[in-house]
Amino acid sequence: MLETVIQQALNALQLGSYYSLIALGYCLVYGVLLLINFAHGDIFMVGAYIAFFAATYIMGQHALIPPNSPIMVKLVFAGFFALIVTAAVSFAIKKKPQAPGRKNYSYPAILGGIFITVTAAIYYWGQGMKLETGADKILVFAVTMPLTMILTSVVGVFIERVAYKPLRLKGANRLYVVITALMMGIILEYGNLSLLGTSRLSYPTLLPRVVFDVAGAKISITKLTAIAASFLMFALLQWIVTRTKLGMAMRAVSYDKFAVPLMGIPLDAVIVFTFFLGSSMAGMAGMLYAMNFPVLDPFMGALVGWKAFVAAVVGGIGDIRGAFVGGFLLAFLEVIVAAVFSSELRDLISFTILLGILTWKPTGLFGKPKTTKI
Amino acid sequence: MLSVTNLKVKYGNIEALHGVSFTVNKGEIVTLIGANGAGKTTTLLSIARLGPPEGPKVIQGDIAFDGASLLNMPAHLVVANLHMVLVPEGRHIFGNLSVMDNLTLATYARKDKENLPRDLDFVFELFPRLGERRKQRAESLSGGEQQMLAVSRALMSGAEFILLDEPSMGLAPLLMYDMFRSLKRLNQQGMTILLVEQNARLALDFAHRGYVLDTGRIVAEGPCDELRDNPEVKKAYLGG
Repeated sequence: MLETVIQQALNALQLGSYYSLIALGYCLVYGVLLLINFAHGDIFMVGAYIAFFAATYIMGQHALIPPNSPIMVKLVFAGFFALIVTAAVSFAIKKKPQAPGRKNYSYPAILGGIFITVTAAIYYWGQGMKLETGADKILVFAVTMPLTMILTSVVGVFIERVAYKPLRLKGANRLYVVITALMMGIILEYGNLSLLGTSRLSYPTLLPRVVFDVAGAKISITKLTAIAASFLMFALLQWIVTRTKLGMAMRAVSYDKFAVPLMGIPLDAVIVFTFFLGSSMAGMAGMLYAMNFPVLDPFMGALVGWKAFVAAVVGGIGDIRGAFVGGFLLAFLEVIVAAVFSSELRDLISFTILLGILTWKPTGLFGKPKTTKI
Repeated sequence: MLSVTNLKVKYGNIEALHGVSFTVNKGEIVTLIGANGAGKTTTLLSIARLGPPEGPKVIQGDIAFDGASLLNMPAHLVVANLHMVLVPEGRHIFGNLSVMDNLTLATYARKDKENLPRDLDFVFELFPRLGERRKQRAESLSGGEQQMLAVSRALMSGAEFILLDEPSMGLAPLLMYDMFRSLKRLNQQGMTILLVEQNARLALDFAHRGYVLDTGRIVAEGPCDELRDNPEVKKAYLGG
């Protein structure tokens, strides 16, 4: 009996760690911009795919461009790698300050040239190009994790720049931004579908199949990594938000965007940093999820994303402790309901309980009602 | 120090300033007075270079600081590099942070970290009540204390020139005079102040020079004593 309880608790902890990692991203972006970033679940999906490609490329399983694919797909892959090269070059040659009044076109021209050349080169030779690496899988894991986080955060920040920032600058109502976020999510899902097709990819095994024994219950090292990662990220985030000036600036933006530049703080940088943090955690969750449930499909982010969003709201959206606790609360509810009743009733009963919690405490477990003084 | 020449700005399609020119010299207190909708706040927001959606768009004219145009400078650099800081109307303090955190945050872009303890002591000496409440959440402060915090924040950000928008708004008369006494003291220590006020009498008593704005144009200017005696100004803003 005790074994079963511990086993179920470990399962819930594992499930909760994904919910929490995603919920933290929802919570950060909401906490700073009061924007419900509905594309976040799909950024999680993108993270899982990036993790897949990063791992398989590093292991040398693929050519740079998938062979026998349509020309558009090849171009997108070539363009993607060219973009990374271009970004690296642009970091290397820092932009010089321009003379006022005169526009300098040589910089964008150089970068554009590099981008097109590299795209063409990869398009031409990419199908025969393979990374030749040894198959030290732990090393692959150690490289893939940060790489996935960085690339996923680039996607998240890109979405913010392209979709949300223009609306923000025009002073659009929050509703329009939320709808834009929903649309971005759908674009990510179907963009993926059209790029990679309906075939489901299966994630390679990276970590050794070691199973630990906890008082009779069993837990694999992959699951343990997921749990540990979520706790680590939460601690890191809590530290950033409460102890650093940048975290303080993030909280300040959430209360009053208008006054932030008046403190000498670049508002845009704070917002980009927020999306960077949130998306990198979604990328991490995507990779860990793919390692434990190794089948990827373009719609994997939708349901998990929704659940994580609900978890963030129940925890008190805008408070990172709330998002973290909410994620685990939802996971424990689901596991308990599935164990006591049946797994078909899982979502029905656990969401009914969450509804009850919200009725009892409409601002969520950790939320505080906002007051303003006139 | 600051010179605004023939400034025209727009909010969307509405032109809010139709060619405003004025100057502020170092160490001066200059006031802009005028009725509601005259363009006082718009002028300050333009000078602070606040971006969209709140900031107005400059379509003509120039704003220069020490001779260099700052039209292409983002708001946060105006604070960080020029040390010119706006204390906005309605205070805009960060209510979810403590008083101390509000003050710490204002030092975000400062390079002279060694002066921070001195400035903090000065702020708490100027406004002792903030010192007593440094651990409190800023939204729990009274209106007057919030205004003190807003001014203190500007001081902590290293301001040498503050743009004050309606500092008397919502303050009881006694607190209001306190606030202006503190501002006077700041000025005596070298702070340049550009003050926007509805309360024309108070502003003219406090400042050295003044400009009267009316529907986006400057209609009168001069030393404050002259403006006080100007019959038009008297009739329109000082109640006869």
